[in-house]
Amino acid sequence: MTAFIIRRLIYMIPIVFGVLLVTFVLFTVVGGDISQQIAGKNADQQTIDEIRHEYGFDKPLFLSWDSQFIDHFKRAVTFDFGRAMDRERISEKIRRGVGPSLMLTGPMFCGELIVAVSLALIIAFVRGTVWDVSAVVICVAGMSIPYLSFIIFGQYFFAYKLDWFPIIYLPEEPMIKSVGLPIVIGIIAGLGAELRFYRTIMLDEIRNDYVRTAFAKGLSTSRVLFKHVLKNAMIPIITNVVLALPTLILGSFLLERFFGIPGLGYLMIEAIGSRDFFIINAMTFIFSLLIVVFTLLTDICYALVDPRISFK
Amino acid sequence: MNGINGTKWILGLAAAMLAVGCAKKGDSASKDEMILCPYLPSRIQTLDPGNARDMYSMEVAAHIYEALYVYHYLKRPYEIIPLLAEDLPDISPDGLTYTIRIKKDVHFQDDACFLDGKGRELKASDFVYALKRIANVKYASQNWAPFDGKIVGLDDFREYTKGFKKQWDVDYSRPVEGLQAIDDYTLQIKLTRPWPQIVEIVLTDTSTTPIPHEAVDFYREDIIRHPVGTGPFKLKTLQPSCFVELVRNKNWRGESYPSEGEPSDKENGFLDDAGKPIPFADRIIWRVIEEDQPAWLLLMRGNIDAMDELRGIPKDNFDKAVTVERTLTQSLIERGLKLQIYNDPSIYWVGFNLKDPVLGKNLPLRKAICRAIDRNRFIDLFTNGRAMPAHGFVPPGLDSYDPDIVQSGYSKYDLAEAKQLLKQAEQIQGGAIPKLNLAMPGTDTLYRQYGQFFQRQFEQVGLELGIDYMDWPTYMERANKGQCQMFMNGIVAGCPDAIDFLEMFTTKSFAPGANKFFYSNPAYDALYDKVRVMQSSPERVEIYRTLEHMAMDDYPAVFILHRVAYTLGHDWYKNFKPQLYSHGLCKYRRVDVKQREEYPALLKKLEREGK
Amino acid sequence: MSETTTQQNEPVSRGYWSDAFRRLRRRKLAMVCFIIVLIYAAMAAFVGIVETETFKKIFKLDVPIVRWNEQVGPSYQKPMAQYDFKPEQSETKVKGWSLFGTDFLGESTLRKTLYGVKTSMLVAFCASIISIGIGVPLGALAGYYRGWVDETIVWFYTTLGTIPYILLLMAFAVALRGREFFGVEIRGAPAVYLAIGLTSWVGLCRLIRGEIIKRKESEYVLAARAMGCSDFRILFSHLLPNVFHIILINFSLRFVSFIHAEVILSFLGLGENDKPSWGAMIDAARTELARDVWWEMAAATAAIFLISLALNIFSDALRDCLDPKLRID
Repeated sequence: MTAFIIRRLIYMIPIVFGVLLVTFVLFTVVGGDISQQIAGKNADQQTIDEIRHEYGFDKPLFLSWDSQFIDHFKRAVTFDFGRAMDRERISEKIRRGVGPSLMLTGPMFCGELIVAVSLALIIAFVRGTVWDVSAVVICVAGMSIPYLSFIIFGQYFFAYKLDWFPIIYLPEEPMIKSVGLPIVIGIIAGLGAELRFYRTIMLDEIRNDYVRTAFAKGLSTSRVLFKHVLKNAMIPIITNVVLALPTLILGSFLLERFFGIPGLGYLMIEAIGSRDFFIINAMTFIFSLLIVVFTLLTDICYALVDPRISFK
Repeated sequence: MNGINGTKWILGLAAAMLAVGCAKKGDSASKDEMILCPYLPSRIQTLDPGNARDMYSMEVAAHIYEALYVYHYLKRPYEIIPLLAEDLPDISPDGLTYTIRIKKDVHFQDDACFLDGKGRELKASDFVYALKRIANVKYASQNWAPFDGKIVGLDDFREYTKGFKKQWDVDYSRPVEGLQAIDDYTLQIKLTRPWPQIVEIVLTDTSTTPIPHEAVDFYREDIIRHPVGTGPFKLKTLQPSCFVELVRNKNWRGESYPSEGEPSDKENGFLDDAGKPIPFADRIIWRVIEEDQPAWLLLMRGNIDAMDELRGIPKDNFDKAVTVERTLTQSLIERGLKLQIYNDPSIYWVGFNLKDPVLGKNLPLRKAICRAIDRNRFIDLFTNGRAMPAHGFVPPGLDSYDPDIVQSGYSKYDLAEAKQLLKQAEQIQGGAIPKLNLAMPGTDTLYRQYGQFFQRQFEQVGLELGIDYMDWPTYMERANKGQCQMFMNGIVAGCPDAIDFLEMFTTKSFAPGANKFFYSNPAYDALYDKVRVMQSSPERVEIYRTLEHMAMDDYPAVFILHRVAYTLGHDWYKNFKPQLYSHGLCKYRRVDVKQREEYPALLKKLEREGK
Repeated sequence: MSETTTQQNEPVSRGYWSDAFRRLRRRKLAMVCFIIVLIYAAMAAFVGIVETETFKKIFKLDVPIVRWNEQVGPSYQKPMAQYDFKPEQSETKVKGWSLFGTDFLGESTLRKTLYGVKTSMLVAFCASIISIGIGVPLGALAGYYRGWVDETIVWFYTTLGTIPYILLLMAFAVALRGREFFGVEIRGAPAVYLAIGLTSWVGLCRLIRGEIIKRKESEYVLAARAMGCSDFRILFSHLLPNVFHIILINFSLRFVSFIHAEVILSFLGLGENDKPSWGAMIDAARTELARDVWWEMAAATAAIFLISLALNIFSDALRDCLDPKLRID
């Protein structure tokens, strides 16, 4: 087991290295020199040169002990991403954004999971009937409407017209008030795809022999559904959930943007608008790392749960 | 793994998260506290005055940091009065030496950076420090440009800082001849040549506000989040893209509300508080709201007090707010809102890059383009008529604005003439005019609409126009490198003097300086060099106007409009007089708390009446 | 999996493809959807052709859609409303009428929506081509050669797959935008489809690699190898045609997500700005809704909804007919 984990850990190294390489190529080689924009509107050449030097844009790209790539590498490995273009510590920005993002995506994700899984169970039970077909059609229809339209319309209708929710994040009010509407919109907009996904899983499960046996034993429908089917469908569901967890921290950037929630998604959009490659770079790296770690965790869990997986 | 337990666990997690969120905001303030709720249309970059250049950072920073001088809140024309200075500067007869006495017994705000946590007394050396800090190359301040070559010895100091690795290593005690604290309460500035606008441009600006070196040494780069100033408010919470909260600085030396003003101030109620101690408010909370619509709605619901100087009524809501006669609509009057209209001294243009091979040598072409743009239509469409067509580049409101410049016809809209000029232009070009390109400093819907508007205007005279939409940083980079053929931009006056506007056309300030047009005219430069050392006088106004005409004759840009600002404030927001050149005005403003509390009831009542 | 089904009443044996398409044709709904997709594609091609200078010269035809930026009425006219309108260069007023209303600048929403078909389809199509062009050869090479080739390719796509897709997409779009490659500046639609295409091939590559590994040892490959076929030939004329259905299913499923990705990138200001696009139209609704101008967003949303729905249903049917066991998430 230990050997398995160690091997998996070693396997992570080239992946992390690869992520570093990709971000480096994107933001340094392709993205180019951003010293000018750091310097501000009417800066003189001296200041620009100074900034270029300060940020190391005048160093060689690769092929040297003091190259930009080595700097990039060092920053990532030590988790010291330095400062954003407005000179605030990036780690500070990210730390500040985690909370609001989780406040939004946490309940949204849980709510959606619960709704989608229970609906999927019900649909799986009534499979083949008109209900099933109409549910699938509604799912597909829901998936076909652009996310942006959901948000714009939802915000307009429920906040502006009906005044049920605040239109925008209110810092002086409890957070729950401000995230209510985005959570609802997020759940509705994402439900189609989720429901369809879980329906497939449930259908795969419900066709199994043990379900027939359970019914034959005379167990009640709800007992079969919730006790047996759900239990067995848990593995794909949990995989899906665990792998989605890192992206939760990222928040739903469109919702955050529209409702002014100062989370990580908002930070990301801001960084894109101001071409702040330092932030985008740090976020990309951190989230990739999270995904690597979570993948590792799922693998280990699998190995623990499933005796068929060998540790060799 | 038990499914049901799993679900319970997830539910529990969700509940816990919500509970945390609810509990977090427990410490709400006592009821009778006076809170001002203005708003900012864009995020705050920094609260470090030395590097703050965007309007919104400066707006907030100016409540924490104070400058030597400030514009009188009520008097018009604008008058400079001392703030941290004891009185107006003593200027030597040659206009080169400024001696400024500083108020005694002014203290910095209490902060952990001081040894005993108590704010120490302000000294003249703090000003010296602030200025040297801007000169420090390693600090890479955005505010260096106006000082370049102006103060004796400061450029040498800048040269000297180049030898260091980090900004902290620089020895600030190294003397600079033109920047000295003669004693603790006297500051002396020596200039290399007269700079009559030094007070207006620099000494009233947030960039020169004193900052204790203890704070900079203590917080280092995090000084952007830990302001320590002398002002009436202190920072409490900073969430740059969401909200900023300031609370009253209990140790502030105190000031009283001005008791003189314009004649109309009396009837407008701006003098009601005359002589009372300021600041009135206990707290200021700025919401950062980037979108127009939420901001407008929050104003309507009374969550924010006013759409103030920083941004007016959104164009899509204008029809609902203001009638054709330029008064408020009935429904807004019932809600107790008040409208104020004034000239915002600004100029917006579509600039030509004169280094461009097609545009640069082709005056008739530039002239033709100027004739082809229907400025009135632009103003109607995009500003709901809240602007004046620009006939020159010096905006109304500045003393050198030339009301007669309209007669020179620089901004005539005349398609027939444009077509005729184009024929000449084609001869110079030696063939058809190739497709032209206009760079837009934004990518959102509004810029797309601008772009399409100009495309259509160009089409009228048979010119093809391509639009490059880019984000602001890319735009800046290209404009500075001279890679934009045409570009849309604008500036707002920072002081009542037009020198900033004139500087845009000097050879010295080629991009990355202010001259993104790459306009170069030796005669203009010579005259500019002459006028910039002149003290204010009717003669100077004359030369300013001559300079404006000189530049206009070469058509370096299509000057489009000067904005007219429409600000909207709730009735409870008292002393809300627009003031163009100073930031940090919240100390004068007051909220009638009772009136604000009654607002929801008023809204309900209006709703019941079906309005 | 080249199954040849024989049925009782029809003794003729049919090939895999003809059988699959026969089954597909029986699904009425899927065929309707297919026709909708074809109409969109034809529309996009039509706009693309009539827009070119050569077409304008040869046929002397001026199709209104191409003149999307023409002012057809006052700004913000309601759909189906009559209005009086004075065109910019004429003195007289004319009566106008617009099916979907007009936007801020008095442009026809209908024309913009129709033009948006081209923008959107072009982006989705080119992105698909790029994605397939990278994913398929890499997947095939990795699956066929294994060894270090495989390891490198797997490493590369795992790396890309590790970065959250939306971050990767935005990062590509923002980094590529406005850069010059070989003297061509990337902006507008090409920037969008390059960003989408370059980031979305991972899933396909993984699938193809798996399939090739499965089929590498199958009899027809062994036979081909015994006959002395080159690796190249085995790969491209034997193996790839047998996984072609996977590519097809993938193509149709991904197409929808590319259309939606274009909308989001447009909203972020990273998309096509010069020409009408659905993303831009929806984005405009943010401020327009305050004036109760709903038609621009409604038109664009409807256009996206229709094509997405059609494609979703069609590709589901396609998958059911070609390879029911295949799962592409």
